[in-house]
Amino acid sequence: MSTDRAPDGSAALKIEDLVVRYGKGEDVLRGVSLQLQRHEVVGLIGASGSGKSTLLRAIHRLVEPTAGAVILDGVNLLGLAGPKLRQARLRMGMIFQEHALVGRLTVMENVLCGTLGRTGFWKSVRRNFEPNDVEEAFRLLERMGLDGLEDRRCDELSGGQKQRVGIARALIQHPDILLVDEPTASLDPAASARIMILITEVCAEDGLSAIINLHDVPLARRFCPRILGLHAGRIVFDGPPSALNDEILTQVYGEEALESYVGVRSTETRVGD
Amino acid sequence: MVSVALYLLVAALTIEVDPGRIREGMSRAGDLFGGWLRPDFGTRWPDIRTGLLESLSMTAVATAAGLMISIPFGLGASRNLVPGPVYVVCRGALAVFRAFNEIIVAILFVAMFGFGPFAGVMTLVVATVGFLGKLLAEAVEEIDSAPLDALTTAGASWPSRVVFGVLPQVMPRILGLTLYRLDINFRESAVIGLVGAGGIGATLTTAFSRYEFESVSAILILIIAMVFAAEVISGHLRRRLL
Repeated sequence: MSTDRAPDGSAALKIEDLVVRYGKGEDVLRGVSLQLQRHEVVGLIGASGSGKSTLLRAIHRLVEPTAGAVILDGVNLLGLAGPKLRQARLRMGMIFQEHALVGRLTVMENVLCGTLGRTGFWKSVRRNFEPNDVEEAFRLLERMGLDGLEDRRCDELSGGQKQRVGIARALIQHPDILLVDEPTASLDPAASARIMILITEVCAEDGLSAIINLHDVPLARRFCPRILGLHAGRIVFDGPPSALNDEILTQVYGEEALESYVGVRSTETRVGD
Repeated sequence: MVSVALYLLVAALTIEVDPGRIREGMSRAGDLFGGWLRPDFGTRWPDIRTGLLESLSMTAVATAAGLMISIPFGLGASRNLVPGPVYVVCRGALAVFRAFNEIIVAILFVAMFGFGPFAGVMTLVVATVGFLGKLLAEAVEEIDSAPLDALTTAGASWPSRVVFGVLPQVMPRILGLTLYRLDINFRESAVIGLVGAGGIGATLTTAFSRYEFESVSAILILIIAMVFAAEVISGHLRRRLL
């Protein structure tokens, strides 16, 4: 896990003044700017409703930003449409909170869904995927510890297994960036730690950058060399875990909500530091 | 209150009551029910067989064609899949398909295409599209949107999202509804035959107008048997496929 903040400042992803407003309501994101360096793993913390999920979804344009820019390799994604947008999306693998698998499809089919951006429609309908992609899917399943499960239907898997299928599906896209939304939300603490180890290892081995939404501050401290704190749609903290003190956590979570998110005060334990 | 009672009294008086006709009717009812107790499959068997086979093929063709047409309409009428204008057009079309009872549609098609099973098939197709399209749209609107989001982030095109994200989720519903509609279409084929749209219903009307109540009884028994068989078969398919 290296924080290779390249001296030339070649960011993997640049977000400028991103604003998201749902309907006529209040802004969910109020001008978020950040740079994600290559090979950098960033943890995004904040109370629910602070805009963490919206930020990831807006980067991928699952939610249409109201204003701002999302720049991937010098190209603003907000100006793209059609095949160009789909090509850009392939480069950002997203891992979802509740796995977002198609339960009635097999593990193999779900993983191969990650190639739909580069596989022709009729080929995919006939399940005639590129042999390279199929081989890679087998390799990824092995890497995820899911070998032998390729023909199982996804609704038969455990929560942790489903999350691994979701990771394999994101990786087969050949992404440069992983956007990970609460990967541990539905897992017990041991499974949570295993999934985080897996994600951060994959990032290190494949040289990926990642933004990981985490509701669990100790996990963020343990696995993310850089942490962003989001409060009410604004970034209020950007720094290493060591700089994350009570004052900042109060700023991020608010006084009354702090206990429920952090569990224990930051000074008491530093899990895995 | 009084005026309503007065109206009902006057209205009742305008309806002619002819004791002779009632007597005649009673004796005919005797023939009718008597005939039902002695079903006759033999005398009109060639007609009955033709009618039954016609009904079966009308049912099969109309259900298959209706299913094919209802899928695009159903997808188009799902708010979570298409832009607003497409949604409005498809919902509107489905509402039109369902606006009239089968009998009225059948009368319309018989007037357009003449007597016979073609008008019947067209009627059943319209009814099937209205039925399956609407229920399919409702099923699609209830699906879990997360897998669709995941396919979007993988760069999947709209048709790929439908094939991999939507259809697997609604397939059991489509299958169940289609089997159910198959059953309805067979029964409807008997009804619309009464207005000249072919099938076993046409045979039934002919038998009625000839006062051949033994044949009528045989036809009704066969319809019941077919619906029962359809029930057994669809139950079996449901268990096998879902």
